[in-house]
Amino acid sequence: MKKKNKFLPWGYSFSSILLIGLIVVFPIIYTIYISFTNMNLYHWTDYEFIAFSNYRRALTKLDSGFMSALFTTIIWTVLNMVIQIFVAYLVALGLNVKGLKLARLYKTLLMFPWAMPAYVSILLWRVGMYNPQYGLLNKILSALGFSKVDFLSENIPAFLSCMVLNLWMALPFLIMMMDGAFQSVDNSYYESAKLDGAGWWAQNLYITIPSIKPILAPSIIMTTFTTFKQFDIIYLLTMQKGSLTGATLQTVITYAHQNAFVSNNYGLSSAVSIVIFGFIILFSLFINRGIREEKA
Amino acid sequence: MKKKMALILCIAMAAMCLSGCSKNTESFATKQESKESLTTIRIWHDGDKAIMQMMEHRLNEALSDNGITVKFEQKSGLTDQIKLYESDEVNGPDMYMYAHDSLGMFVEMGALAPLADVIDKKVYADMLPMTLKAGNYKDSQYLMPVYFETLLFIYNKDLWEGEVPSTTDELYSYMKNHTDITKGTYALVNQHSTAYNVAPFINGFGGFIMNEQAKPGLSDEKTKEAVEYHKKFADLEADGDYNTVNALFNEGKAAAIIGGPWLIAGVKEAKINYGIKSLSDFTLPNGNALAPYSGVQGIGVMKHAAEAKKDAVAKVLEEIANPEIGIDLAENSGCAPANQKSYESKTVANDEMIAAMRRTADTAQPMPNIPQMSVMWGPTESLLAAVNKSGKDFSTAADEYQKVAENAIADMK
Amino acid sequence: MKKKAAKRVAGLSILNLFFILMCFITLIPILYAFLLSISNESSAFGSGFLLPRNPTLKNYEAILLEEPFLVWLKNSVVLSLGTMILAMGTSVTASYAFSRFRFRGRNEMLKLLLILNAFPQILSMFAIFRLFKNMNLLNNYIGLILIYAGSMCIFSIWNMKGYFDTIPIEIEEAARIDGGSPGQIIWKIILPLARPSIIVTAVMVLIFVWNEYLFATTFLMREENYTLAGGLYQLQANDYSRSWSLFSAAAILVSIPILLVFFSIQKYMISGLTAGGVKG
Repeated sequence: MKKKNKFLPWGYSFSSILLIGLIVVFPIIYTIYISFTNMNLYHWTDYEFIAFSNYRRALTKLDSGFMSALFTTIIWTVLNMVIQIFVAYLVALGLNVKGLKLARLYKTLLMFPWAMPAYVSILLWRVGMYNPQYGLLNKILSALGFSKVDFLSENIPAFLSCMVLNLWMALPFLIMMMDGAFQSVDNSYYESAKLDGAGWWAQNLYITIPSIKPILAPSIIMTTFTTFKQFDIIYLLTMQKGSLTGATLQTVITYAHQNAFVSNNYGLSSAVSIVIFGFIILFSLFINRGIREEKA
Repeated sequence: MKKKMALILCIAMAAMCLSGCSKNTESFATKQESKESLTTIRIWHDGDKAIMQMMEHRLNEALSDNGITVKFEQKSGLTDQIKLYESDEVNGPDMYMYAHDSLGMFVEMGALAPLADVIDKKVYADMLPMTLKAGNYKDSQYLMPVYFETLLFIYNKDLWEGEVPSTTDELYSYMKNHTDITKGTYALVNQHSTAYNVAPFINGFGGFIMNEQAKPGLSDEKTKEAVEYHKKFADLEADGDYNTVNALFNEGKAAAIIGGPWLIAGVKEAKINYGIKSLSDFTLPNGNALAPYSGVQGIGVMKHAAEAKKDAVAKVLEEIANPEIGIDLAENSGCAPANQKSYESKTVANDEMIAAMRRTADTAQPMPNIPQMSVMWGPTESLLAAVNKSGKDFSTAADEYQKVAENAIADMK
Repeated sequence: MKKKAAKRVAGLSILNLFFILMCFITLIPILYAFLLSISNESSAFGSGFLLPRNPTLKNYEAILLEEPFLVWLKNSVVLSLGTMILAMGTSVTASYAFSRFRFRGRNEMLKLLLILNAFPQILSMFAIFRLFKNMNLLNNYIGLILIYAGSMCIFSIWNMKGYFDTIPIEIEEAARIDGGSPGQIIWKIILPLARPSIIVTAVMVLIFVWNEYLFATTFLMREENYTLAGGLYQLQANDYSRSWSLFSAAAILVSIPILLVFFSIQKYMISGLTAGGVKG
């Protein structure tokens, strides 16, 4: 029996909702407001209401460039999530093997990438790993007698390079969550399963996965969104001003950024942002179907 | 467990109190500040720390009798910051110091006041005409030029064999004979996919990135020719990333580099025996000299400061126009002063690098300062990266990015 | 029996080997940064991956003494703790409410929160800036704490709500029958049970604030107010090829406090459920 009460839950969540209203909802409303004005470089302070004409222009921007960005983003999200979940599961499984005395040390070391500010990591990778002249990967390649590779100059290698970096940066969180979830599984289940003669596969399939699923669902949903929204990696690795690498990889967010912020036309760019946000909502609804919430 | 939680909470509460206190003292400080604020001038910049510290020191020394304090504050991503803060009395700067190419944007935004609102024309009469032109937008002078920069040909005297050639074709054949990519040694390196660093070729061929009518020139026939001609150089110039090319030169793996005066401090630190040649001393196959852009570092006045702090701002500007500052900048940081009178000093006139920049300044063009230029760097860089790094066909890429540029300009209105 | 033990030892060694290899691969970029940070050369950009000839700590010394590192550290600590308290204080009760109560608008609200979370934050910076300018919250820690707590609030609610869902309601009911007041039940039973999730969420908030630089450098104006990440960002924006080794040293130093936090919270990560509730 779950509690029923009309006002108490709102009282409990009032302060959060206020905070979210201020920091998350207000900016969205403000962006919508600006999207109906002609605020741009030439009307920086004296902008006026111009109805839907920004939206008419924004929609013409959703051309093939946007569609391919959307496509890239979906592949990016799916690939990253699948690999992340799979690897994190295996690592967490390993960490929870009984008798692994150094597990705590390994865990802390594996968390290191997470402890570093994102842009620092990206910079380290761009210079230390991928740089065609000085990067470690190219040093290894040339030591083995291969010719040097410019990892970031073509779209597909750049996509894979970005993905490796994203996995490196994002895995620690999921490993930590998985590890926490593993420890909440009641050991007695395994003991009785062993008595029933269930093998390794069966234990994983029928005990571990079902038990950790409800605990992990929220973090996986959150990670999916973060992956979808990922901007820093692709931007700083391949298209930072002054060091373009030649790849023309675009995700929805970098596309929005490029179309929105470069032109200094806040009215138009707000309209583009809102249209793209609309697409993200559609995407969320799509994901939402995957979340089956138990009905009370 | 509970004890630990309590401990954490206590620490957190203490921290909150501390932050609260520091906030209080801060507001107290702002109150105090408002009394003095009429004589404190805050200047935002995104430049070299040593240069700015020197200027700050110099100005404060000269203006202390008037009770004026000048503070230089570094903001990275200065253009974005000024776009956010605009002309903001409480939080924003009073003046800013930056390259002149973002000038038109700030003026159109309504953030800047013309210098004529604060000082008389006579104050900046001695500045080099090229630097004045750079700080002039729609027939009003907005920037007080301080120093200017052009790209230079910097070479390692211990590595370069024989004379430095005087035509680009000879330079290319030298590069071909002295570059070993597998070994990682280069004759010349350049940021070959950065618009600013390829502009000497484009301008020299008679092409343009953007003309004064705000028309992008990426698909101009002359520009295409330049990009095609430049590509064979790019192939022999390593990755072209700023840090890569610098490191190559400073480690003695590249015999020469095309770069600005801002590289010199690092070159000296690496104890390289360097020589300098002006880019205008290289002739292209069409007989023209390489024609780099020149960038003028100048100081502009925010609107609110021009009204509320007129006297203090005027004093600061007058002091900046003093030729002595130019001499100091030249002697300490190797900047080429905008003030012609600074060149009367012997040390300035005899400085090899400054002389080279001054000579380049005769053929160099100031970067366009119209607002549309701010959206041109992106597509130009994309075009160069596509041609030089991804090996795209120069002609189709040029047409493609011309369209991107045209769209970006249309999006501004 | 002996055979089994031998097999076990072999398995464990392989596992250990696997983890050592994995840690090594993970740490390569960080080792690279470390080697640079102790190298002596002025332009150490290209010399990475070799043990420097004359290892030195001068870069660390320079960071600690010349850059306002300790001031930034203090700012980062104040900001992250402030944010943690505000974000956790507001979202723990909210996630409890969303987990335990069934009320009209609950599902819709949860989904709405998720969708709102999808709005990219870089797009809202401009609006928040305008708002805070009017509210006089620029250049002020309170303003930044509000931003950080607000941006992490949805994540915290969702993350903890999922964990609350797994705590059997029967435990709570049993406590109620024993005469516990609602406040007591939450404070004494639910919170300790949800400890791992609360700690993980709090650490997430902490890391978010620790590593955030964009808002920090935009909303705080004076160098002495910067956070570590913000200050470091300024440091690298400044022609870092000249101070690349300095930058690496700073990067390592910034990461260490977070690592210490990780290491110290690990024993609390063992599930509250198995460690406390059911068995204890």
